[in-house]
Amino acid sequence: MKDMIEGLALLLLSLIAIWGAWQVPQAAPGETWAGLVPFGAAVALLGLSLLLVAGGLRSASHGTDVDVQKVPASGTREILTLFLIALIYQQSFRWFGYLLPTAAAAPVVLYLFGVRSRLGLAASAILCPLVFHIIFFELLGVFPPYGEVFDLLDVIQG
Amino acid sequence: MEIFPALLSVITDPVLLFAIVLAAAVGMIVGATPGLTASAAIAMLLPITFYMPPLFALAFLYVIGKSGRYGGSVAAILFNTPGTAASAATQIDGYPLAKAGKAGKAMKVATISSVIGDFMGDIMLVVGVGFIAALALRLGPPETFAIYFAAFVVIGSVIGKSIVKGMISAVLGILVSMVGLDPITGQERFTFGSFELSNGIGLVPLMIGVFVLGEVFAQLEERSKSSGEVRENTSASDGHSLTFEEYKPCIPHAIRGGFIGAGIGVLPGLGSAIAAFISYGEGKRRAKNPEMWGKGALEGVAAPEAANNAVSGPSMAPLLTLGIPGSTIGAILLGVFLIHGIQVGPTLFLTDRELVYQLFACGMLGIIAYGLIGYFGASQVARIILKVPTSVLYPLIFLTAFVAAYSARGSLFDVTVMTFAGFAGWLMRKFEFNVAAFVISFVLAKGAEETFRQSLLMSDGGILIFVERPIATGFLLLGILAMAARIRAIMRERKVVSGELEDA
Repeated sequence: MKDMIEGLALLLLSLIAIWGAWQVPQAAPGETWAGLVPFGAAVALLGLSLLLVAGGLRSASHGTDVDVQKVPASGTREILTLFLIALIYQQSFRWFGYLLPTAAAAPVVLYLFGVRSRLGLAASAILCPLVFHIIFFELLGVFPPYGEVFDLLDVIQG
Repeated sequence: MEIFPALLSVITDPVLLFAIVLAAAVGMIVGATPGLTASAAIAMLLPITFYMPPLFALAFLYVIGKSGRYGGSVAAILFNTPGTAASAATQIDGYPLAKAGKAGKAMKVATISSVIGDFMGDIMLVVGVGFIAALALRLGPPETFAIYFAAFVVIGSVIGKSIVKGMISAVLGILVSMVGLDPITGQERFTFGSFELSNGIGLVPLMIGVFVLGEVFAQLEERSKSSGEVRENTSASDGHSLTFEEYKPCIPHAIRGGFIGAGIGVLPGLGSAIAAFISYGEGKRRAKNPEMWGKGALEGVAAPEAANNAVSGPSMAPLLTLGIPGSTIGAILLGVFLIHGIQVGPTLFLTDRELVYQLFACGMLGIIAYGLIGYFGASQVARIILKVPTSVLYPLIFLTAFVAAYSARGSLFDVTVMTFAGFAGWLMRKFEFNVAAFVISFVLAKGAEETFRQSLLMSDGGILIFVERPIATGFLLLGILAMAARIRAIMRERKVVSGELEDA
């Protein structure tokens, strides 16, 4: 069942890729089609996905299948939470620059990994943005992302 | 002989020497930290090296890669947790030795053997790389494409448990690399109307996502499964020192391991784990005391460690001469070359010969550096690692991944790419797809496409050009044979397992 679901998901992906490759305009005379390799790779993915589905069906019929329900789901909720935090964190760079989102994300992520010391979490909210800002934006000279809504760096620098 | 002036120039540069020693220490710590890999460290530090001169950047990351391979043995012996896949072979005898109070002795054997293996690999690289480059200069697009094809098939089918999943990973890597503008015609591919996608998917954010953020996700999952605490194995009073008489039986195993590792290293995609296990198996087969292997034989530490590290140097040969990275570390180093505007391939030995040999010299000095740090300070390194709680370490790595991905090009889109790549990397690990095949294929795809289309233009669209040229045919057959051999091996394994089940 597990292989079959993975195969079906990849099958869908391969169909999207085939459609995407098909959108590439035809080649001019004397040139090769820019969609040739993407199309070939997408078709290869389709074939391999079908093999995966076939393997899943075969193991289901032989009773050697790993039931999806029996696959341990431990930690998946935490992973999804962390992924959600990651998505919000990266998006908030656009809205609030680097400092404020990092000050908020650092204690949350530390908490998720099991840190419970209030002092430690509070310190992380100050130290993490400070240290990363000094290393990357001051010492290495990278231009920091500008927060469109509010940027703490703007306030600090007056 | 270019290596001697290169060594001299590196030795007389104190800043570069400091960078080498620092990289040796960083690599060892990273390799020895359970869950962290040298690939992750290199990917994370990659943006920092943008601001360094090319040799400095390459040497720093190359030595981290070398030292990281060795660092895995520290975790295997001192924490009973293999830091890398290759060091799982070291653990077979390293753990019983540590249990018997001989952790220090095992660590010293691992260090000396790693240094022997790594030096053997590097010497073979220095001697052979110019020859391979000269040959590579004579290859045309059809031959080069055939080599790429063989690399894709070997990488996809040899690593991992499932050939289908390995090949899927490789194909996914190819598809992701196709996003953006076609380098030949400038037409958009897989952009779906997005302007940001038309710039393509960057190598650096993809690497950071897959190797760094993906690892953080995996570690979070691991934490919820096990609550086991990592402790250091200590040595008894007589278990710390190592005499020459004790190491003497290990020498043939280390030298054989060095040859095995160097031979495997030159083949793209096979990697140090395969070398370490083959060397262990071969060592046990030829050992005078095979009954002791697995129960705490020093030779059982020497054989895999030498092979594991001997892979490092020769794995650079396909990267430097053909532009085909043989490992994930090679794939990241290829990125460094490109970022600094250095074209990798046979012409590299015409345009940047001095840089290449200086890099080799840095690698050799890096071996000495990690050898000395490991021989005299492995226990101290282990204590440093134990002092940093993983509950703090991984959140810091999480935050570093974001700022590192942004720093590469100052692009917020890269941060988004890194985030999704991280989640995809975790999914691939969870469902046993092959992350290494995905990343290496991503890096190889553009070169493969270019040579494929050049070949088609040469033959007016005729596909037979690949079979009309003997070298190209040879490499195409090599790829097919490698896959056939792997299918046969898997079928045989299944037969053995089903036979055992029927017996039970």
